[in-house]
Amino acid sequence: MDADFASSPVSVLATLQRPPAGVWRQAWHRFRRNRAGMIGLVLVTLVVLTAIIGPFVAPYDPNDNAAMLRGASNAAPSARNWLGTDRNGYDVLSRTIYGAPTALAVGLGAMLIASLIGVLVGGVAGYVGGFTDEALMRGAEFFMVVPVFVVILAVVRLFGIIVVGTPLERIPNFNLMTIILLLGLFSWPQIARMTRAEFLRLRHAEFVEAARCIGTTPREILFRHILPNALPPLIVLVALGIGGAILAEAMVSFLGFGDPKSISWGQILFFNYQSLKVAPWACLAPGTAIFVTVLGFNLLADGLTDAFNPRVRA
Amino acid sequence: MTALLEVRGLRKHYRAVRRGLRRLFARQQTGTVRAVDDVSFVLQAGQTLGLVGESGCGKTTTARSILDLVRADAGEVRLDGQDVRPVLAGTDRAAMLAVRRRMQYVFQDPYLSLNPRWTINEALREPLRVHAPQHQRDWGDRIATLLERVGLEPRNGVRYPHEFSGGQRQRVGIARALAVEPDVVLLDEPVSSLDISVRSQILNLLAALQDQLSVAYLYISHDLSSVRFISTHVAVMYLGRIVEIGAVDEIFARPRHHYTAALISAIPVPSPGAVDQRVHLRGEVPSAMNRPAGCPFHPRCAAALPICREQVPVLQPMGPNTQAACHNPA
Repeated sequence: MDADFASSPVSVLATLQRPPAGVWRQAWHRFRRNRAGMIGLVLVTLVVLTAIIGPFVAPYDPNDNAAMLRGASNAAPSARNWLGTDRNGYDVLSRTIYGAPTALAVGLGAMLIASLIGVLVGGVAGYVGGFTDEALMRGAEFFMVVPVFVVILAVVRLFGIIVVGTPLERIPNFNLMTIILLLGLFSWPQIARMTRAEFLRLRHAEFVEAARCIGTTPREILFRHILPNALPPLIVLVALGIGGAILAEAMVSFLGFGDPKSISWGQILFFNYQSLKVAPWACLAPGTAIFVTVLGFNLLADGLTDAFNPRVRA
Repeated sequence: MTALLEVRGLRKHYRAVRRGLRRLFARQQTGTVRAVDDVSFVLQAGQTLGLVGESGCGKTTTARSILDLVRADAGEVRLDGQDVRPVLAGTDRAAMLAVRRRMQYVFQDPYLSLNPRWTINEALREPLRVHAPQHQRDWGDRIATLLERVGLEPRNGVRYPHEFSGGQRQRVGIARALAVEPDVVLLDEPVSSLDISVRSQILNLLAALQDQLSVAYLYISHDLSSVRFISTHVAVMYLGRIVEIGAVDEIFARPRHHYTAALISAIPVPSPGAVDQRVHLRGEVPSAMNRPAGCPFHPRCAAALPICREQVPVLQPMGPNTQAACHNPA
C-alpha cells in the first residue's frame, strides 16, 4: 500500500502536510523549545564528549606527577599546565578530563542496575497485583529507608579488608564497581514505584483491554502496549538519578572511601582540599566539573518532564 | 434453531472489602455490589439488541463479562450453542482466538481505546497479526479496505490517534473490531462520548455496516432515542437485572414495566408546544450494594403494590414478543 501511496498524486499533498508526529517526535519538538532542558542537553553532551575524546586530547597522563619532582606542585595555571598542578604534582586539567569517564560510568552504571531491578520489580508488582504487590513494595520501602552512605562506607571499608589476598584484588577498579553496585542497589525503589504506578494505570487502560479482546498475548501486551507507554516518566527519573549517583560517588570519594586506582572528581577534591588556600585551582576545576555535570543531568530531566507532559503544548 | 449469542443467568457480584494489608486486621466483609444479577437474553444473527439503563445499572459489566474482560461469577455465554466462558478463561489459545475472532468489542471512549504510540495502520495491524498471521502480504490491502469501509481515507493510516477527532477515532475503533470479520460486535456506548452532531454519523455508519456485513450488535446505551434508531430488540436494565425485554416497536409502543415507561417518557419530544407527559420518578437509584427487598424498583414506582415490597418479580410474557418483570404491569 505504501508503494502506490508514494507514486500517487496524493503523495505530493501528503508531503506538503506536516509529517505525522509520534509521541517521541512531539516530545522532541516541545523539548527543543525548553531553554533549561536544552542547556541541560548541551552540558550533558559536553561531558559525554569530554569523556569520549578527552583521553586523546588531555595534555598529560593522569598519573604523571613529574611536576612534583621538579618542585612544581601547587603551581598556578600557566602555558605548561593550563589549570595548574595540584599538591601531588598532577596536571589538574588532565585529571579533571579523566574524571569524566569515571563520573559517567558511575552515573550510567548505577542507574542501569537501578532501572533493571526497578522496572522488573515495579512491573511485576503493578501487573500481578495482590499479595505479590504488597510484598514487593514493602521490600522496596526497606531499601528506601536504609541510609545509603553508611552502607557504602561500611561495605567499601569491609571489602577493602576482605579482598586482600584473594583474586578479587586483581580486578581493576574493584572499589569503584562496588560503589556503583551499591548505588544501583539503593536507588531502584523510586523507579520501581513509578513503574508500578504506571503499570497499574495502564493495566486497565482501555487500549490494553482492547488488545486483550483481540486476543493479543500477555507478553505482547506487556512489551508493546504497557512498557512503551510507561517509559517517559521513567526516563525522567533515570536522568535525575544519573546526576544523583554522580554526586553520591563524589561525596563518598571526598570522604576518602573512593577507589584509589580510579580518577574521580570527588577524590581530587579529597586530595586537595587542604591546600585550598594555596592552590584553589586544584579544587575549583573538579568542583566545577561536578557542578556542571549534575546541573546538566538535572536540567535535562527537568526539560524531559515538560516534554513528555502532553498538557504543556507550547 | 440455536441463537447466535445466548446469555443465560449471567451474574457478577463485587465484594466491597478492605484491600491490602488492612485486610489482615479487619476481615469483615462490608457489602456486596450486585453489578449483574441473573441476566439472560438472546441475540439472533443480524439483529441488534439495545441494552439500556441508567449509569451503574450493569450494562457495561454485562458486556465485559461476555468477553471475559471481567470474570463473571456464574452463567453461560453461548455462541452458536457452545458455552464460551470456559474457553475464554481457559488455556487453549487456538480455541480462545476462535471465539474472540467471532465476538468483538467497541469501547466507549475512543480517546482511551487506542494506543497513543501506534499509528492507525499499526492499530489495525494488531488484530490481523493475531488472527491472520499467515496472510501478511494482504494486510496493507485489508487495512485500506477497512479504513474506507468506516469512511476514513487510507492515506491517513500513517497518522497517530491524537491527530484525529473523536468521531474519526471511533471509526478507527469500529474498523479494528471489524478487522477480524466478527459475527457479534458489542458496542459499549459507542457514541455517548461524541458530539451530538457526530453521533448520528456514527450511528448511520453502524447501521450501514450491519446491512453490508450482516453482523449482530449488542448496543449498550443510556440514550433511548439512539436505541430506538439502531435496535431490533431492547432490554432494559435496572440495578443489575433486566426488567423488560422484547421487540423494540412493541416496547416503545406499550412499555409494561413502569421503569421503562418513565425512561421512554424522558425522551425529549422535538416539537415546541408538545404536552409534557413525562413520568417523573421519585428519589434516586438505590446503591447496588443495598438493593431494596422485593422488586428493586418499588421505592420509586408509582404503581407499587404491597407484594412488590416482598417478592422479586420474574420476567413474564407480556405481549407476543415482550417480557417484563413486574407485579402490576401497566
